[in-house]
Amino acid sequence: MPRITYHQPQGSQQTIELDEPAPLMQTALRNGVPGIVGECGGQAMCATCHVYVREDYLDQLPEKSEDEEEMLEEVASPFDERRSRLGCQITIGEDLEEIEVDVPESQV
Amino acid sequence: MNAETLEAEPTVEAPVADDGVISDLYNDPFPIYRRLRETAPVHWVPAIGRYLVVGFSAIHTIDHDPETFTANEEGSLMIRAMGHSMLRKDDPEHAEERKALGSVLKPKAIKTVWNEVFQCNYERYLKDFIAEAEPDTVDGQKVLRADFHTGFAEPYAAENLREIIGFKNATWQDIRRWSQDMINATGNYADDPEIWDLGKKAFDEVDDAIDEVIPSLDENTLLAHMISAGMPIHSVRANIKMTIGGGFNEPRDAMGTTLWALLERPDQLAQVRQTGAKGWERAFDESVRWVAPIGMYSRQTTKETVLEGIRLPAGAKLGVNVGAANRDPAQFENPEEFDINREQKPHLGFGAGTHYCAGAWVARAQVARVGLPQIDAQLPGLARDPEREPRAGGWVFRGMLSVPVTWQCN
Ligand code: HEM
Ligand code: FES
Repeated sequence: MPRITYHQPQGSQQTIELDEPAPLMQTALRNGVPGIVGECGGQAMCATCHVYVREDYLDQLPEKSEDEEEMLEEVASPFDERRSRLGCQITIGEDLEEIEVDVPESQV
Repeated sequence: MNAETLEAEPTVEAPVADDGVISDLYNDPFPIYRRLRETAPVHWVPAIGRYLVVGFSAIHTIDHDPETFTANEEGSLMIRAMGHSMLRKDDPEHAEERKALGSVLKPKAIKTVWNEVFQCNYERYLKDFIAEAEPDTVDGQKVLRADFHTGFAEPYAAENLREIIGFKNATWQDIRRWSQDMINATGNYADDPEIWDLGKKAFDEVDDAIDEVIPSLDENTLLAHMISAGMPIHSVRANIKMTIGGGFNEPRDAMGTTLWALLERPDQLAQVRQTGAKGWERAFDESVRWVAPIGMYSRQTTKETVLEGIRLPAGAKLGVNVGAANRDPAQFENPEEFDINREQKPHLGFGAGTHYCAGAWVARAQVARVGLPQIDAQLPGLARDPEREPRAGGWVFRGMLSVPVTWQCN
């Protein structure tokens, strides 16, 4: 079953298994994972769904769209050229079956 | 959480708010919101035929569950006053129109195009503001006095929006009048024929101005992007009208509220000055939480549902009161205070979910990056006018009506 593991800055973690493909952001909201806001509902407009993808999964990620690149410049926590992504732009359960991400300190 | 998971809780009917509530809201809605919030997150208000939703988590549920809570309201006065814009549509129709805005309102365009436009408008309207100020003497000190709201915030915000839309054939005063007349029509629950007439006149003038300017559009503008994305002309017209209603008052009002809040709190103003750009952004965002310029928006239930334990029938019209939710103590500590140092948490002043404000970046740039920091730096000793009272008003839309200030002549 596809799954997402969210690691919190204080060290706790939460793994969510998915019944059907879903983006990281929406999955976090539906399951009450703290630290991911998703103000714009997934339109790559608000930069409040920022995550740091863990090393092991980096080479399996889809390319960043121009919209995503633009929003990543506006994130509230430090931008990491390699690991920073928008949670609303990465869907798990299609090409990518599993992922682990670090939730940043702040989204606003 | 979605509406279904809540159905396990005991379900009750919404308490009924008395009619007096509505007439009292205009002057100062916040004590009334507090009273309502303390009894229930949702109230039935017969005077406006709506359920008023005042709790933060209830609105979070609504904004993220558009299948149960549609934006496409039956008998919508907004549709009558402005045409059927994306703000009254659900996805996928909404998403298609929103996509046609393209990159016009986003950070890259702001950096490459709009910051310069805002800067130019800032310089121009600051000059007028200073030229029109009245000289006087306060406590033996020579000062200039003026109303920041009407003298600067209003022309500056209207001119910025005029250029973003691409109305080179209109003036900022046209934007102000169109906006006010169409907003009045949108709120014309009393069915006043004079208000409809003025609204219709603005409606027709905007259509004419669009038709006139289409052959010669500048490429970076909203109109140019909508047309080149192939948006049908009736949708272009409706979306431009909605943007006139939603892109002028709000930055104007947020600018006045932010300045007023800081002038009243010298310690926070000093901190903002010291922090620079980030500080001004923080103050702006806190002001949008504290006094949400769009205090209420509408939604309608598509089926019977239960929201935070309260039963809502199918087709129920909702007043989503973000002005109240932004002061919900369940979300914010000391919610009634303006405090730039509060724990940073998301608020609902720009809405949430699929209709999340498309102009949030533009508003932040013109108010917090260009307008306020410079006006504060360039007017020495900027302070509240000790002899005139600031005034605020409204609840569906709320903001300053007058922000009297003084500064020293040099
Ligand atoms: C401080 C300033 C502003 C505030 C507080 C604000 C607030 C809001 C809110 C609450 C909504 C959602 C309403 C709903 O869901 O029913 C919204 C939507 C919208 N706003 Fe703003 N706004 C501001 C500035 C602007 C500006 C400057 C523009 C344009 C240049 C703009 C354009 C829009 C548009 C096009 C929508 C509709 C989005 C959609 O339906 O997807 N706003 N705004
Ligand atoms: S949810 Fe807004 S950018 Fe991802």
